[in-house]
Amino acid sequence: MLSQQTEASVMEEPPKAWLYPKWRKRIAAVIALLFVLLLVILFATSTGSVEIPFGTTVSILLSKLPFTDITPNWEDGIEMIVWSVRLPRVLLAGLVGAALALAGATYQGLFRNPLADPYLIGVAQGAALGAVIGFMLPVSAAGAGIGIVPLLAFVGALLSVTIVYMLARVGKMVPVSTLILAGVALGALMGAIVSYLAIRSDMLRGIMFWLSGSFSMIEWSEVQIVFPIVVIGSVVIMLFSRPLNIMQLDEEQAQQLGISVEKMKLILLAAATMITAAAVSFVGIIGFVGIITPHAVRLIWGPDYRFLLPLSLISGAIFLILADVLARTLIAPSEIPIGIITALCGAPFFLYLLRSRIKASY
Amino acid sequence: MKKKSISWLLLIIATLVMTIPFSGCNGQAQTVTLENKITETITVTKTVEVVKITDDLGRQVSIEGSPSKIVSLAPSNTEILFALGLEDRVCGVTDSCDYPQAATEKDKVGAFAEIDLEKIIALNPDLILAEDMHKYEVIPALENLGFTVVAMVPHTLQDVMDSIELIGSLTGTQDEAAQVVSEMQQRIKAVTDITDGLTEAEKVKTLYVLWHEPIMSVGADTRIHELIEKAGGINIAAVAGEGYPTLALEEIININPEVIIVDSDTSLQFVLNESRLEGVDAVVNGRVYSINPDLTNRPTPRIAEALEVMAEMIQPAIFAATE
Repeated sequence: MLSQQTEASVMEEPPKAWLYPKWRKRIAAVIALLFVLLLVILFATSTGSVEIPFGTTVSILLSKLPFTDITPNWEDGIEMIVWSVRLPRVLLAGLVGAALALAGATYQGLFRNPLADPYLIGVAQGAALGAVIGFMLPVSAAGAGIGIVPLLAFVGALLSVTIVYMLARVGKMVPVSTLILAGVALGALMGAIVSYLAIRSDMLRGIMFWLSGSFSMIEWSEVQIVFPIVVIGSVVIMLFSRPLNIMQLDEEQAQQLGISVEKMKLILLAAATMITAAAVSFVGIIGFVGIITPHAVRLIWGPDYRFLLPLSLISGAIFLILADVLARTLIAPSEIPIGIITALCGAPFFLYLLRSRIKASY
Repeated sequence: MKKKSISWLLLIIATLVMTIPFSGCNGQAQTVTLENKITETITVTKTVEVVKITDDLGRQVSIEGSPSKIVSLAPSNTEILFALGLEDRVCGVTDSCDYPQAATEKDKVGAFAEIDLEKIIALNPDLILAEDMHKYEVIPALENLGFTVVAMVPHTLQDVMDSIELIGSLTGTQDEAAQVVSEMQQRIKAVTDITDGLTEAEKVKTLYVLWHEPIMSVGADTRIHELIEKAGGINIAAVAGEGYPTLALEEIININPEVIIVDSDTSLQFVLNESRLEGVDAVVNGRVYSINPDLTNRPTPRIAEALEVMAEMIQPAIFAATE
């Protein structure tokens, strides 16, 4: 209902769209959330098992910016912790949260299925299979460079979705239902292989850590790889926000309105898979962000994809950064697997939203 | 696949049929045989000594006579059995039992974590030595089949020596066990006599790395923690709790360990190549050491050797010359 009203008002007077109260509210939400994201990044970088004052953290970060002249009055170890351990970790948590939430929103829109999440059509199982094979190879997983595990996880994720897409193809069409079925079936098959290889491998410990997801050893080099992939994928997805709105009516109607549905499906699937694969390959499988964030955003700000997509992206980043702060501080200096935190915090919050907004939105 | 499982099924049925009438250790079958061979049973009970023990899981177990067919469900148990000279009486081991070399030639009863009950039934042992991980599924299953199972769950170095003595008394090799234990005690004492006298300042901040992504170490209630402390070190991961906690990278940078001991090649490569550990004392001073994980992880007589090796790593000035 809401999206249709907005569509109508946009069509009447497009140039002044931002003047409408609903739009102003949403634009304000985007700006406010961006500001919150910045604060959350600063807060997360200054928080950890080693106590570092907020001021010192900010000074260290500022000293890294060009054209600033701050004389270091901190130890090298502290700078190492803030700049090389925490900041890349916080940024990658943000990127992964953003990617998973955006991919989740995209899949939910594409499949018109509220239960869709980024792992629905085999990304996670493909990545897991790739990672497990990586762990079992004699080549050392440690050392310089990207490492064989994330590389194979990325390849595995892309390959499995490609296979699912081809299996689901009926003539020139790729019906959503066959796509989901093929994804679930292939996912189950790969999941079985992963379980078998994992219990047979002497790297079980490493595999279990990877499967439960962790940001603990993130470095700058990993941020540098994930960042461009997530940015490009996100831009591509957000270019399709209007067609996604129309798709919510019906695929046939969308086709009649001049949208080439199959082409759009392919591009969106490719982009969403790409960012999910990039996110998952370095940190393992992190649940709940991708399914819950878009829903929460939809419940608060409505189902218009022009806002749902960017708001999901920013909210996903904020959510996962904060979840990771909890993961590394609750039982510091030890850590809790991030997946446990996302489920523990995400599920009740979502249920609360669902109960309190259920009448307003659905 | 199907054919194979059917033939397994046939084999297990055949084995069951064959063992039930003749089995001495099957409790239900025993009453049947008693009626027929009552004189024999009496003469046997006269000479047989019944050993009653409480194992590490608090289970009451009584063992009749000196077991002649023993199955070990853990590499540590196998090592102890061989150390007591019971090689000929060991009839089954796990895939992971690789020490001493001769153990690898014994019949296999499956992997450490996946015990093959059929193989055990086929071997029909009169004593099975299990460990902690078998307590929920494997031990009840074996007991239901009428087997005698004793679990070894040693936590401390003293527990390891106690379990060696227990296996000794179960198998009638008390003398051998006493000798193995006294040799262990001497070797441990040779190290602790020196390290007990160290001041806090002389002790060395040590990080033991079990896994590197994330960094996983040993908590204050582990045997490896005890080894570190006895070798003149301070286990920096003790602050992270009990069991096998993960340790935040920033915490390691902050605590700045003087020695890092790793027990796998992948973890060694990681520690040496991780740029953020470059400034840590252990890396700067080239004091990152690799240790055989079987020495430190397995509760066996070799734990004394583990202590000596770790003492050389942690306190080289004192122990490097003495061999």
